[in-house]
Amino acid sequence: MKPYSVLFALIGALLLSGATRAAAPVDISLTPAARNPAQPEMGNWLKFHSAIKNTGSQTLSGLVVWISLVQVDPGKEQPVDLEDWSAHKAVMRSALKPGESFSVDWPIRLIQAGNYRVVISAAERNAGTIFASPFADFNVKRKPTVESKRILPVAIGIPLLIAAYTGWRLRRRG
Amino acid sequence: MNPVTLIARKESGELLGSGRGLGWMLALSVILSVLALLLVSNTELSLLDNAQVVYMVMGTITALGGLLAIVLGSDAIAGERERGTLIPLLLTPITTTHIVLGKMGGLVAAWVLMYALSLPYLWAVGSSGQNLAQAIAYLALFGTPVVLGFGFYAVGLSARFGNVRTALLTALISLILLASPLLLGPSLRQSAIGQAFDAVNPFSAALNTFDSVVIDSQPLGMQLGRLAVTLAWLALTFWFAKRSAQTMEI
Repeated sequence: MKPYSVLFALIGALLLSGATRAAAPVDISLTPAARNPAQPEMGNWLKFHSAIKNTGSQTLSGLVVWISLVQVDPGKEQPVDLEDWSAHKAVMRSALKPGESFSVDWPIRLIQAGNYRVVISAAERNAGTIFASPFADFNVKRKPTVESKRILPVAIGIPLLIAAYTGWRLRRRG
Repeated sequence: MNPVTLIARKESGELLGSGRGLGWMLALSVILSVLALLLVSNTELSLLDNAQVVYMVMGTITALGGLLAIVLGSDAIAGERERGTLIPLLLTPITTTHIVLGKMGGLVAAWVLMYALSLPYLWAVGSSGQNLAQAIAYLALFGTPVVLGFGFYAVGLSARFGNVRTALLTALISLILLASPLLLGPSLRQSAIGQAFDAVNPFSAALNTFDSVVIDSQPLGMQLGRLAVTLAWLALTFWFAKRSAQTMEI
């Protein structure tokens, strides 16, 4: 688990207040891609599209934009370590002039079943706060990944087959 | 018939048709069965854990292949010497390189059988997860040079020491050392020494590729450096076995 990704996720989850966004000189949109599966399950890919726009009058410098994921199942609320979910966790921009914008696509591979909330956050070198997009929620359906019905016949059957063949060979020889 | 083919056929026939060979296969299947049952006892595994299971099975198969290779390789020349059949073999009109390659023929046959035997296990633990086809292909691509390299290495030791037990012990220690990444997690190999060891260790190259391909779904292009390490291991050990056989004392 990468400590900084957990830290980012925690900061992103904790600082997502409306007040933060109200005065933000940065507008961040977050839209699920149209081709995302309607009922995603473990193993599927989801893509989120975000556009980051400088709505203020000052050039933003040293802008870092990153994705955070939080599990929101009752009793299991926790930030998710994105290491296994996404290789595309953050983008940097050295400067963003007033009125200027750029887009980022965030692909995510769904690793674990549950209810999740994704958010895009941004931090600027001189700002004293974090800017965040609206939430996008999604549910990941469980997919059976390990089936004992499939493993038991192999785990028991193959040694038995080899043992039977060995016994037959030895009896023929003897 | 080519002398290499002749020796290889004899070796593989003796190995696979004998009770010893079948016993090997039975032991291997029991180990894989126990491993599969232990690894999948948790039915709540996530998709990542499923890939992790496939990765661990691939690593175990490669390690067992290495073990099989050093047992067979250690016996290849020193065993002939101890049984008193080395001198008659050297008196035939074949070179020591032919003997080394012929002896390796039996090992190749055993590895092919072992690989085939592992496929149902890989399917059983990995067919509902991710990258099963890649797992099967990369086990062949990376497991084969690693396993055969251990075979050549053990043949070389067998020729140098002229004693099965010494060759086997030395080869076993080498296998344990090189296969240690199977037990040590990646985080324990992050030091400069660990990274240097990983960079030149063919077993690490294979394991890191299995991890990269099965868990992280990364393409072949990213594995070429590691493939070069495993092929270099195969070439180096072949040279070692050939050189050791040529210079062995009768």
